[in-house]
Amino acid sequence: MMDEVEITDKERPFEFRQCISIIKSTGKKAANLMELREVIAAVSDDSIFHHTYQYFLKEHILEYTNDFAQWAGESLEERALAEQLSNIDPYSCKTISDLRAALVDVIDSYLESFPEPRDALPGDEFFFNETVTFVFPVGVRAKNLAEFLIALRFIDRGCIYYHFYEARMRVTAGTDDFSRWLEDSLLKTELAKKIRAIDPFMHTTEEIRTHISGMIMEEVSSDMEMAGVRS
Amino acid sequence: MIESYTGIAPKGDLLLLRKLADSLAGKTFLHVNSTREGGGVAEILQRMIPIMLSLGIKARWEIITGDDRFFDMTKKVHNALQGNTEFIDNEMWEHHFRINEANAAGMDLDADAVLIHDPQPVPLVTFRKESVWIWRCHIDVSNPQQDVVKRIGEYAAKFDAAIYSVSRFAGALSVNEFIIPPSIDPLSNKNRDLSNDEIAETADRLGIPRDRPVILQVSRFDKFKDPTGVIMAYRMVKKYNDCVLVLAGSPAADDPEGTEVLNEVREFASNDPDIHILLLPPFSDKDINALQRMATVILQKSLKEGFGLTVAEGMWKGKPVIGGAAGGIPLQIVHGATGFLVHSIEGTAFRIRQLLNNTPMAQQMGERAREYVRQNFLITRQIRDYLAVWHTLSSQGGSLIEL
Repeated sequence: MMDEVEITDKERPFEFRQCISIIKSTGKKAANLMELREVIAAVSDDSIFHHTYQYFLKEHILEYTNDFAQWAGESLEERALAEQLSNIDPYSCKTISDLRAALVDVIDSYLESFPEPRDALPGDEFFFNETVTFVFPVGVRAKNLAEFLIALRFIDRGCIYYHFYEARMRVTAGTDDFSRWLEDSLLKTELAKKIRAIDPFMHTTEEIRTHISGMIMEEVSSDMEMAGVRS
Repeated sequence: MIESYTGIAPKGDLLLLRKLADSLAGKTFLHVNSTREGGGVAEILQRMIPIMLSLGIKARWEIITGDDRFFDMTKKVHNALQGNTEFIDNEMWEHHFRINEANAAGMDLDADAVLIHDPQPVPLVTFRKESVWIWRCHIDVSNPQQDVVKRIGEYAAKFDAAIYSVSRFAGALSVNEFIIPPSIDPLSNKNRDLSNDEIAETADRLGIPRDRPVILQVSRFDKFKDPTGVIMAYRMVKKYNDCVLVLAGSPAADDPEGTEVLNEVREFASNDPDIHILLLPPFSDKDINALQRMATVILQKSLKEGFGLTVAEGMWKGKPVIGGAAGGIPLQIVHGATGFLVHSIEGTAFRIRQLLNNTPMAQQMGERAREYVRQNFLITRQIRDYLAVWHTLSSQGGSLIEL
C-alpha cells in the first residue's frame, strides 16, 4: 500500500543495503614497477576501483591503504613508494581517471629517482583483478533516530561500506548516504555535518560504526532531554 | 540445513545466498569430479550438496569412472599442471577423451549449470548442452608444463568460465576467470564446537599432557611441511619455555616417501618424551579438532603449499597460527594481525616464544584470526560465490547486479 502513496524525502525511511563482490581476474599481472605503471595506465576502471576503493572492505588490517601500496611495500620492498602510494586518498579524487593519473604520477616520479627497480619473486607478482558486485536490501529500515541507531549496531560491515564509502562514488554530491538521509528526512543538519566531518580514509568500517553510533546516541539523548522525557 | 549457519556465518552472506538461491530456485546444478571420498574436493562437496538442496537448488553430484591407465594419465596431468615434467603422448590424451566420452554416454549432463572439478572430467565439456558450464580448477597452475596446459586449455576454452583458488593461478585461459578461495565447514566434525570433556577424552586417549603449553602441527609427513624444521624450532623454544610438541598426520602406507619422512622425523625426535608423533587413521576429524582446541600455538611451517586450509582450521579455533609464507598461507595469515608468517626455523622459534610469553597478544590474535575466517573462509561464502558466478553468467548483468 505504501508504494501507492508518494513519499516525500521527509517521510522516507532509511533502507539499509549491502554490497558483496566476487573477484574476477583481468588476466593481467605486473612483475616490477615499470609493468605496474603500464598496467595501471591501461587496465579497466573496475580494476582500479577494486584495488583502491574496495580496499576499505578489508578492515585496514594490512599496513598500507591500497593494494598497489601493499604490493610495493611488501613484495618489492620499495617502502618509500609504498608510503607515497598510501598517501593517495581515493575519496579526494572525483573520478577513477583522476585516481589513475595520481597513481601513475607517483610511480613515474619514483622511477625517475630509482630507475632500476627489482622484480618480484615468481608467484608474487601483482595480479590485477576486478569484481562483480551484488547490491541488495538487507530487510532493515529505520524511520527515526532510535531505529537507525539500533540498525547501525546490527548490520554487517558490508552495509557500512556500501552507505559510507561506496556511496561517495555513487552519489553526485560525493557524500555518504547516512548524513544525506539524516539531513533530508530527519532535518538533522548539524548531525549530518558532524558525520560528514569524519575522514573515511582514516577509519575502518567498524570505527565508522562506533563513531556514528556515538554521535547518534548523543543526539537521541539530547532530543529526549529536550522533550522532557529524561528527568 | 542452511538455518544451522545463522549466528555463525556473516548475516550478509546468508542473505545474499538466499537471494541468489531464490533467483535460481528449482534449477539444476550438477557437480562432477572423480572421487566420492578422499581429498579436499570430495570433502567439501559432501557438505555443499545438502546445503544447496536445502536452499531449493536441485544440486547433483556425479563421479566419472575410469581404468588404471586413465587415472595414471590424469595424475600425470595433475603433476604437469603443478609444474613437474611429465610425458603424455597423444594416445594417452585420446584415452582421456574416450573415457570421458564413455562417462558422458551414461551420465545425465542435462543441468542448468555444470561445475566440472579438476582436469580428470574436463573433456566432458565436449558433450555440453545449452547451459552454463564452469571449470573449477583446484590445482596450482601458476607454472604449468606448457604442452599440457595447452591441451587442457583447448577443453577449457569451451567452458563459460573457469574458477581458481588464488589470483596467481589465473590468466592462462581465454574464458572468464573468477577467483574463489576454498573454505572450511564450521559445523563439520573437524570444526564444530567441542565440549571440554570431548577435548579431554582425546588428550587422554592420545597421551597428550595438558599441564604445559602445546605446540601443534597437523599435516601429512611430507618434507614440504618441514616436520624436522618444526622440531628444530621446538628445541630452540624449549631452552626458554617448557612445552610439548605434537606432530599429527595420517599414515602414508601408499606413499613410500611419506614413510621415509616419518621414519626420519621419528629418528630426529630421538625419543624426546615431550615430542608426540601421532599417526591418526583417516577420518580422525574429531581428534584433529580436539588437538587444535587444546593447542596453545598452531604451526603450519610449510615450505611449499597448495592453499593450506589447515591454517584456516586452526584460526577458526581462535588460535594464533604461525605459517610458512608459501602457497595460500599468506592469504589466510595477515602477518602480525591474524597470525605470523615465517621464513625460517629461527623465525618460527622466535614467534612461538613471543606467543607463549604474551598471552593477551596470543588471545587477541586468535580472536582476530577466528573473525577473519568467519568473514572469508566459511563454506557459506564459497557456496555464495558459486551461485554468484552462475547468476552472473546467466544474467550477463555486467559488473553491478542489483538483487
